[in-house]
Amino acid sequence: MSVLTAESLTRQYQLGGHVVNALAGVDFSVSEGEFVGIMGPSGSGKSTLLHLLGGLDKPSDGEITLAGNKLSLLNDKETTLVRRHNVGFVFQFYNLLPTLSAEENILLPILIDGKDGKQYQKRLDTVLKLVGLESRRSHKPDQLSGGEQQRVSIARAMITEPAIVLADEPTGNLDSKTGKIIMELLRRSCDELGQTIIVVTHDPRAAAYADRVVFLQDGVVASQIAFSELDDLAVRRQTVIDAMVELEA
Amino acid sequence: MTLTRLLILRSIKERPLRMLLSSFGIILGVASILAIGVTNQAALESVTRLFADTSGKSSLIITSADSDGQGFNDNIMGRADRVAGIGVMAPSLSVTTVLAEELPPTEIAFSMFGMDQGGLSLMGIDPQVDGQVREYELVNGRFLSERLDDEEIVLVETFAIEQNLTLNDWVEITTPYGIDKLRLVGLIAEEGAGRQNNGAFGVVPLETLQKYFDRNRSLDQIDVVIDKPDASSADVQQLKNALQQALGTDYAVLFPASQGERVVQMLGNYQIGLNFLSGMALFVGAFLIYNAFSMTVVERTREFGMLRTVGMTRRQVTRQVMLEASVLGLIGSAIGIGLGIFLARGLSVVMEVVLGQDLSRIELPIDLVIISGLVGLIVTLFAAAIPAWQAGKISPLEALRIRGISKEGWFISDGWKVGIALLLVSTALLLWNPFPYDAQFRLGSVAVIALFFGGTFMIPSSVTYWERGMRGIMRRLYGNSGLIGSLNLERSKMRTTLTVAALMIGVSMMIVVWTMTESFKGDLEEWLDGYIGGDIYVTSSVNMRTDLWQRLQSVEGVQAVAPVRYFEVKWYTPDGAEEDGLFMAVEPLAYNEVTSFVFDQTDNGVSEEAALLEMEGGDTIFVSSVMAEKYGLSPGDSLELFTKTGKRPFVIGAVVVDFYNNGLVIDGSWADMRRHFRLNDANAYMVKVNEGISIDTVKADIDDLFGDRYHLIVESNLAIQERVNVLMDQAYSMFDILALIAMLVAFLGITNTLTMNVMERIREIGMLRSIGMSRGQVILMVLAEAGLMGVIGGVVGVIFGILLSRIFLLSMTAMSGYKLEFILPISRVVMGFLIAVIIAHIAAVFPANRAAKVDIMEAIHQD
Ligand SMILES: Nc1ncnc2c1ncn2[C@@H]1O[C@H](COP(=O)(O)OP(=O)(O)OP(=O)(O)O)[C@@H](O)[C@H]1O
Ligand SMILES: [Mg+2]
Repeated sequence: MSVLTAESLTRQYQLGGHVVNALAGVDFSVSEGEFVGIMGPSGSGKSTLLHLLGGLDKPSDGEITLAGNKLSLLNDKETTLVRRHNVGFVFQFYNLLPTLSAEENILLPILIDGKDGKQYQKRLDTVLKLVGLESRRSHKPDQLSGGEQQRVSIARAMITEPAIVLADEPTGNLDSKTGKIIMELLRRSCDELGQTIIVVTHDPRAAAYADRVVFLQDGVVASQIAFSELDDLAVRRQTVIDAMVELEA
Repeated sequence: MTLTRLLILRSIKERPLRMLLSSFGIILGVASILAIGVTNQAALESVTRLFADTSGKSSLIITSADSDGQGFNDNIMGRADRVAGIGVMAPSLSVTTVLAEELPPTEIAFSMFGMDQGGLSLMGIDPQVDGQVREYELVNGRFLSERLDDEEIVLVETFAIEQNLTLNDWVEITTPYGIDKLRLVGLIAEEGAGRQNNGAFGVVPLETLQKYFDRNRSLDQIDVVIDKPDASSADVQQLKNALQQALGTDYAVLFPASQGERVVQMLGNYQIGLNFLSGMALFVGAFLIYNAFSMTVVERTREFGMLRTVGMTRRQVTRQVMLEASVLGLIGSAIGIGLGIFLARGLSVVMEVVLGQDLSRIELPIDLVIISGLVGLIVTLFAAAIPAWQAGKISPLEALRIRGISKEGWFISDGWKVGIALLLVSTALLLWNPFPYDAQFRLGSVAVIALFFGGTFMIPSSVTYWERGMRGIMRRLYGNSGLIGSLNLERSKMRTTLTVAALMIGVSMMIVVWTMTESFKGDLEEWLDGYIGGDIYVTSSVNMRTDLWQRLQSVEGVQAVAPVRYFEVKWYTPDGAEEDGLFMAVEPLAYNEVTSFVFDQTDNGVSEEAALLEMEGGDTIFVSSVMAEKYGLSPGDSLELFTKTGKRPFVIGAVVVDFYNNGLVIDGSWADMRRHFRLNDANAYMVKVNEGISIDTVKADIDDLFGDRYHLIVESNLAIQERVNVLMDQAYSMFDILALIAMLVAFLGITNTLTMNVMERIREIGMLRSIGMSRGQVILMVLAEAGLMGVIGGVVGVIFGILLSRIFLLSMTAMSGYKLEFILPISRVVMGFLIAVIIAHIAAVFPANRAAKVDIMEAIHQD
């Protein structure tokens, strides 16, 4: 069953006199529990796609169905509510509130929904355990390392048990070792909690954690690869690199 | 609630400095409204109470229609008694005297109501009935006996203590025929009737006082109490009409409060200025709040964007900002009220000096506290509404940008169109001034605020031109880093605009205050020169007989002596309406020798000397410029005055500048006063000393020869003028304080903006430092940005200040009739500009230091 589908998505930007086709007709769908990687050269439209999928931005044309909701039919407030309940975002820059502790930052979507954070203690413990920050729960963002901050934002993305987590270069700002921890974490949340995830990345090593990798080029899906369950990480990474080389040729 | 607690209270707690800066505007605004309100009310109450105390519980008072100080015969008591509906009639006679042993004060006390020469005010009463109209609170001894000719007196306790008098002492008072004695039988509190003459007051049986002061059977006033316990105002009005009918036009039947009306009106003029400035303070306060909140929103764009990505709706974001504003509004208002109470104490000291009234019984009216607090809260919410709405509009994508690059809003690209429209409309409205009299002040203030808004809207689009124009100078002054700073000004135009606007308002307020003060003082000094002319001013607690005139003239070294006598007069406007005024009688030629009138206009071709000769010839008066302006009078016109023999026309010989009695003054000759008003004593003598003779010697001689006998106060004009100037400065220092507050607000605004700019650019500053910019250069960069803001705010502020003070002076003339000459103090204009630039620099010190301290490594690794 697909959690998210996109049909012939386009997105144009007006730049001065001329039009930039950031997305030029993308068809795309993600099934429940799937972990999808999106790759492509800089400017190929990865972030644009992710923003559209998560309802942060509106497509110029095309339709997105997210957890049963046709986004084109919703107004701003309704989109916000869909986002609130069904989407978790993780960004390259962690975007945490500096005045709140890790725990409070994680609970923010719950609080925004007008609910009492106390009722979510169990879920909070689950995600804190998942990201391995049980001992850091009351620290403020500036007392945490970059990797830890990113883990807080992943926990925040998952606190509402969203239909899908969208991550835009979550490891882009981290060293390779920390990046590895983050990707393993996402993989685990997919395996253990059944979380559906889309990750945009430049890094073949990161992409190797996905079940499937979609390649974008010039605003369209150029190719896709799906990994066999049996491949180990090194093999997967090589497969991704091969696909990239092939695309560039 | 948890969310509110986390997002708002936390942000307030974690950024105390920012919050303090934001609420400072509210604090100052609320404090000034409250302080000014409390002081005003206290002053008004004190003055009205004073007049109420004189006539306590009476419904009506009867006085003579001509206020020549001679009173009227007591036989009208009988005539009035025939009118139905009268409950009590309390006759009284008032005289001013001095204790025989009392030394006259060495200086004259000045107040807004004129001069206070001290002395003891005595009232002759009928003890049997007086208690029913006036309140006496006996604290010692007994009240007067019921016999009207007993030789006894009751004094106010404080005065008795001051004069070392105890019960049963003989009180020796000065009368026209020497010294008479009265037995002190009781003491009353300085309350009710005892508050008169600031406590230098006593009561004496009516007939005794009449006898001592040779005013047999004469009364000054009859207080009437209506014969109905719960009489409506219609009943009183009816009785008033009936009494007036029965007594005829020689007597005036008045409501007691009407005596105080003129005073209230006088107070009103001062209030207009205060109210205006408190409105301005609030406006600037609102501006600062708006400024602070806009900045908060800009600064937290990413934060709000992030909250939107995790599912906060627009309305939730807006509500968070509004909630934050209300918390700040509450805290700010509470602190403001505290500060206001404190400020009110200071203000009341100033008002005491100005009014010459004791305001120590200042009370805190709870409704004023509530109102000012509410105003603070509402203004805060209004000021925060726009930024809150803007916060709601932040798109979630905004959070994903590396740095919030806010789009050029409509305000920045097209605001100038609205600005020009506002400027034109408000200037036109202010100059044309079409408002009805009573709404003038409020609507005028709205127009002024519109003017400031217009100016503010003009700033963003002009910043580029300012920057280009000043770039070269900035580079020369601050070096290449100054150039970068100057360019930085264009980066956050919104912020720059708000900061410059705060500065602009501060400077223009300063200029307005200075020009008004200067213009007012200029005229006042010129007039004061004439009013207290000559070299020595001789006055007394009691009116002086004219024989003193010759005696003073015979003192060695005296060149000329001019007597002056003031009394109230009724006159009739060209359309026949009755008005009250003050008549100043002078001996025209002597007066001209000692001092001179400040002629505003004389008839075409008629010289000033001719005008004086005309007055000497009789039946000619001069009117004040205020009257001329207000009632459209000019030389050659005829004006009717109410004299001893009824209405009588006088020719207006000239228009002169005179600010006494709110500017409602008619000048006439001594001969006319004697002929038509039957008066022949002086309030003061102005003495001119021969050239080359020491004024102090002559002053000492006069004091030695006549001081004791006539209870004289002899003062040199120089000393008086100095004192009046000090007094004026004190009165005006209040306005200075308000201008200072405005500048303080601007100062905080600049610090706020620059700090924010620096914080936002920490990475960039780190980069500049890494490629070799020195700490000193970083400081120069920030200073240059501040300096440029100072220049813009200073120039625009000065222009607006000049424009506004012109308009104010014009409308003041229209409103009150005071015609003030516009004096533009160039040095002050330059100073205003310099202050703006200097303040901007000082305000930049903290942010510049902050910028210089940026740690390169940390800045680069930030985020
Ligand atoms: N707000 C915008 N205005 C104009 N053009 C835009 C805007 N956002 C993106 N673009 C353009 O759309 C195209 C796709 O941008 P997008 O950010 O989706 O690329 P990307 O694949 O995420 O690249 P990168 O790997 O560098 O992050 C680019 O050509 C970009 O210049
Ligand atoms: Mg991208």
